[in-house]
Amino acid sequence: MYQYTEYDRDFLQSRVEEFRDQTRRRLQGELDEEEFKQLRLRNGLYLQRHAYMLRVAIPYGLLSSVQLRRLAHIAREYDRDYGHVTTRQNMQFNWPELERVPDILAELAEVDMHAIQTSGNCIRNTTTDPLAGAVADEIEDPRPWCELIRQWSTLHPEFNWLPRKFKIAVTGARSDRAAVQVHDIGLRIVHDDAGETGFEVLVGGGLGRTPHIGQLIRSFLPAEHLLTYLSAILRVYNLEGRRDNLYKARIKILVNALGIDTFRDKVEQQWLETRTLDDSFMPQQLASLKAQFPGAPVLGEIGSEPGDTTAPDQMFSNPLFNQWYQANTRAHRDSGRRIVYLSLKAPGQPAGDITAEQMDIVADLADRYSLGEIRSTHEQNLVLAHVPAGELFSLWTELKSARLATPNLHKLTDMIVCPGLDYCSLANAGTLGIYDQIYQRFDDLDYLHELGDISIKISGCMNACGHHHIGDIGILGVDKGGVEWYQLTIGGHAGDKAALGQRLGKAIAKDEVANAIEHLLEAYIACREPGESFHDVVLRLGTAPFKEKVYATAA
Amino acid sequence: MPLLRNGHLVTTNPWVRLEDDAPYPIHSSTDTDPETPVLASLARFLQLQSDGACTVSGVWLSPDDDVRQLADHLHRLQVIVIDFPKYTDGRGYTQARLLREQFHFAGELRASGDVRPDQILFMARAGIDAFEFDTEPDEALLKQILSRFHVNYQPSYSLPVAG
Repeated sequence: MYQYTEYDRDFLQSRVEEFRDQTRRRLQGELDEEEFKQLRLRNGLYLQRHAYMLRVAIPYGLLSSVQLRRLAHIAREYDRDYGHVTTRQNMQFNWPELERVPDILAELAEVDMHAIQTSGNCIRNTTTDPLAGAVADEIEDPRPWCELIRQWSTLHPEFNWLPRKFKIAVTGARSDRAAVQVHDIGLRIVHDDAGETGFEVLVGGGLGRTPHIGQLIRSFLPAEHLLTYLSAILRVYNLEGRRDNLYKARIKILVNALGIDTFRDKVEQQWLETRTLDDSFMPQQLASLKAQFPGAPVLGEIGSEPGDTTAPDQMFSNPLFNQWYQANTRAHRDSGRRIVYLSLKAPGQPAGDITAEQMDIVADLADRYSLGEIRSTHEQNLVLAHVPAGELFSLWTELKSARLATPNLHKLTDMIVCPGLDYCSLANAGTLGIYDQIYQRFDDLDYLHELGDISIKISGCMNACGHHHIGDIGILGVDKGGVEWYQLTIGGHAGDKAALGQRLGKAIAKDEVANAIEHLLEAYIACREPGESFHDVVLRLGTAPFKEKVYATAA
Repeated sequence: MPLLRNGHLVTTNPWVRLEDDAPYPIHSSTDTDPETPVLASLARFLQLQSDGACTVSGVWLSPDDDVRQLADHLHRLQVIVIDFPKYTDGRGYTQARLLREQFHFAGELRASGDVRPDQILFMARAGIDAFEFDTEPDEALLKQILSRFHVNYQPSYSLPVAG
């Protein structure tokens, strides 16, 4: 992974000192809250319902074991013994005291971490495929490019006061695990006919109140122009994006108001005018970044297709191990290794939460089984990407005793859940209770496996942090006269067949949500052809059979 | 109005702003020296230019203005004022950067409006070299803010205070 230089450390040290001084001025009354808010947001510090919340950046979801141990230490020393993995692959702490946040940032800086631009109307943490550098369907490792974007976007002199937040996702694989179609800018690494690397560039995707699928602005951008082209898009947005209405300020609104063709013309013109003098990078800079992501030493054979790892012997003798292996591990491009997901959706555990003790355990396991490296996913789980196939059984045994081996990856109980009314001051409704209600109803693992992969995504308000628009089943909390209700959508999808869910009908009462989900699943099972996914059934039959089942029974 | 320029706070600001509906050249006003240089809005400046015989040597940009319209006139300008109606409105950063880097404007670029000490580092890095404040700022704080970072990830315009 990327190794910080003295240059990075010098920069980060200045940033910590800057925030220490800003916090001191705030506490002494020299800065008012309105102004301090913008400064603290750009260091990841929100004021939530009960307390401050600090969102620590995990650039493109990649952590070293040393860094994860430091996060565990922060959870213990400055918080309440846990952290929360977010849908931008970051980690949030829910209870820091303002006075001590500069110390937390100093502790993070010691292990080359920070909270820069994890909130505020600026370029946020770039996200990517959590399986980068480990899968067979990869055209090129996206992480050197993500690091390049991280550096370019960090305290950019021109783009730190945008109309609204700005999110970039990159994928280097053929199948999209980074949801690039629902980002302000989505980048897909592609090769042209001559084998040259470039990017397919999508713009204007996003969830929130007005969800949009990103539109194609350029089918092939030669790679050396990446930063100048991003600058051109950002510049058009910075000058022309709406600033009069918070809810119409994202780039997707501008792209749709102008139409993609007009928007493209503006960007191309801007790019032609400024690309020779704009932010650029040197080929040697990229070569040096690439050298820092060397890939795991090969243990078996490298395949161009997802290979078959030789199944461990224990699979046949231990059904629990077998179940976990099938559900939570994936083929590595090296037949001697396997990708292992650590589920942060264990029974009774708030979705995406991880205790300090578990963080320390995962850090140790990463050292012993996966080259000291951990990834976080936008689905709020963790990944050990390079586990030797022969060591899977012993890893499983250890994960199991740490409650990190719930075999539910991409199954119904692997829900994406925003923090909701329990923490967030924007939320209209609770989400954690809904998660529990659904989890308890569907705790039969055999049923979940029989059901197959299915995603439930829960947001506590229209801002859609729980990505409800792109769940097979989306659940949106709404407030009606002080009572929490839940609006269901079905047929959404992240990935390659990105689609926004369709609204099912009137909102469901809080206590009825699990019942409604059960009816949706009954309809799905009754309608599906062998092997047909929930999404495909909705595509084939529309919402009618689902609607009928949910509302007929509820009436 | 206190103005930070070349790294020093000065209190004299010898410019007068020409309102869009005011007569030009300015006369009559008793407290305005006829030699005082004048700032006009972009629209007024362009109109006066096309009328000929314009001696206005400063332009006051609003965030909506397209700086490309100034491209052919920059050699006539000593100062361009960039207005920040709210400090969270970031359009002025792009205007500054384009004026400096695309059009090579070498005169004074002055931030005006809602200018806050913690913003001037970004402004300076975008090419702004003078900062107008509503109230007297703490000069030591301004210098500290401008000199705190020794390194940056992007190429930046040189700062008005040495690091």
